[in-house]
Amino acid sequence: MGVLRAGLCPGLTQDMVQILRSRGIKTVVDLVSADLEEVAQKCGLSYKALVALRRVLLAQFSAFPFNGADLYEELKTSTAILSTGVGSLDKLLDAGLYTGEVTEIAGAPGSGKTQVCLCVAANVAHGLQQNVLYIDSNGGLTASRILQLLQARTPDEEEQAGALQRIQVVRAFDIFQMLDVLQDLRGAVSQQVTNHTTRDRDSGQLKPALGRSWSFVPSTRLLLDSAQGSGALGSRRVACLTKSPRLPTGCQETVDLGSWGTPAFQGDHKGHWEQSPVFPGDHT
Amino acid sequence: MCSDFHRAESGTELLARLEGRSSLKEIEPHLFADEESPVHGDILEFHGPEGTGKTEMLYHLTARCILPKSEGGLEVEVVFIDTDYHFDMLRLVTVLEHRLSQSSEEIIKRCLGRLFLVYCSSSTQLLLTLCSLEAMLCSHPSVCLLILDSLSAFYWIDRINGGESVNLQESTLKKCSQLLEKLVNEYRLVLFATTQSIMQKTSHPEEGPSCAFNRLSDVDVDYRPYLCKAWQQVVKHRILFSKQNDSKAGNQFSLVSRHLKSNNLKKHFFTIGESGVEFC
Repeated sequence: MGVLRAGLCPGLTQDMVQILRSRGIKTVVDLVSADLEEVAQKCGLSYKALVALRRVLLAQFSAFPFNGADLYEELKTSTAILSTGVGSLDKLLDAGLYTGEVTEIAGAPGSGKTQVCLCVAANVAHGLQQNVLYIDSNGGLTASRILQLLQARTPDEEEQAGALQRIQVVRAFDIFQMLDVLQDLRGAVSQQVTNHTTRDRDSGQLKPALGRSWSFVPSTRLLLDSAQGSGALGSRRVACLTKSPRLPTGCQETVDLGSWGTPAFQGDHKGHWEQSPVFPGDHT
Repeated sequence: MCSDFHRAESGTELLARLEGRSSLKEIEPHLFADEESPVHGDILEFHGPEGTGKTEMLYHLTARCILPKSEGGLEVEVVFIDTDYHFDMLRLVTVLEHRLSQSSEEIIKRCLGRLFLVYCSSSTQLLLTLCSLEAMLCSHPSVCLLILDSLSAFYWIDRINGGESVNLQESTLKKCSQLLEKLVNEYRLVLFATTQSIMQKTSHPEEGPSCAFNRLSDVDVDYRPYLCKAWQQVVKHRILFSKQNDSKAGNQFSLVSRHLKSNNLKKHFFTIGESGVEFC
């Protein structure tokens, strides 16, 4: 947004643009914050025309204030809460993933982030019959795993196929591809992202990666960690709520990955289901 | 624009415009001592890391303003500018429902009718929106409170767009700060703006004026000014939020309120429940 050009709004002719530019007024912001009387004198343009132009530009480019009551009415009908399909996670998330919000799942490698994403995708596609856009920047998505999860929910092959069709997969391995995909996204969505962890410089505690500037963006954050005593080969994880707009933080729930529709947890599962994380973050 | 209307205003209209704005002195007795209550023209900054209750405090203050006088509110209108897209209407409604003695859809809708929400997705859009807000403030004389959550949302984007020149990087925010000051003074509003702590705290606690206030300065040390000078100059009152991390304190939050002219420091504790912020 910004540069003045002919046809940007009704009343802005090429001549006006040239004259304004010659006086240093090149962008919408320049024009709107200028002293219009001074500009009218210096440029020889009509003061009334400039005031009208300013009004039109503001109407076109500034944000429109919504009345709270109207917004509430709209949200009552359009907000949805999507269950993750895992009871203990739903408890931490106050019933599930809220549309209109970003939920972050952070954890060390092997903590189960991708498993959670796949399980949510399967649940939303099959249980809730909604569309899922799965953006994979990690290489952690395998269709056979989603099929396994779906097979555990229903033996009906047509239902499984239907659910698989509702999951759209995009592989984005650099930030520009990801931005492209996100630009085209429309409609009411709930966003779930995963993030890696690093150690805090001072306290040595595990904390989500990407630093403070990112940490303000998600409304909700879950930290996944291995359960005590289960070791790297165990299937139990502990999910801790570290940020929430509606529940007190610090609650923990145990999550058993092994019970999500798979045969007994194999020793080499990590090589099969999760690639070693090299790039930060993969998104669903 | 509205400035055209000013010249044609009669004396009575002028008085109506100025007298019509109610006082916000009673907005939160716990937070502001009498001498320091926010008065017309005040700009207050809420600063703190994420998860420390800044947005919840804004819901609390908004609820105080939009609730009817019979329920302990001020019955004034609020303009809430959201740049983070974090505003949770359903959460605000929960807070209102808990504070009303008898809540019904009708009353909730009437309260929400006093709230205006504006979403901005870039600093230029914020600037243009502030320009067009003038017209709205003229036609709504009962707007007393302007909330901006948050002012620092576009910090990194502005820095990239400004290239190498610091002046260019800060120019839009500088214009926004000047415009905010003008709006707040001309229309006798109070502005609460949040800024996020996105910079690491300094490791030398002896830096700066905070060394003179050792007892209350632990939170102060975390404050590193990074927004433009124009904004630093218009802030009258800075409130630093933090959260106790130990398990004994449970879910307790604290804030340190500093009045920049008089340099008065005060510390308050609060918790956040279903009904919003509750001071201890």
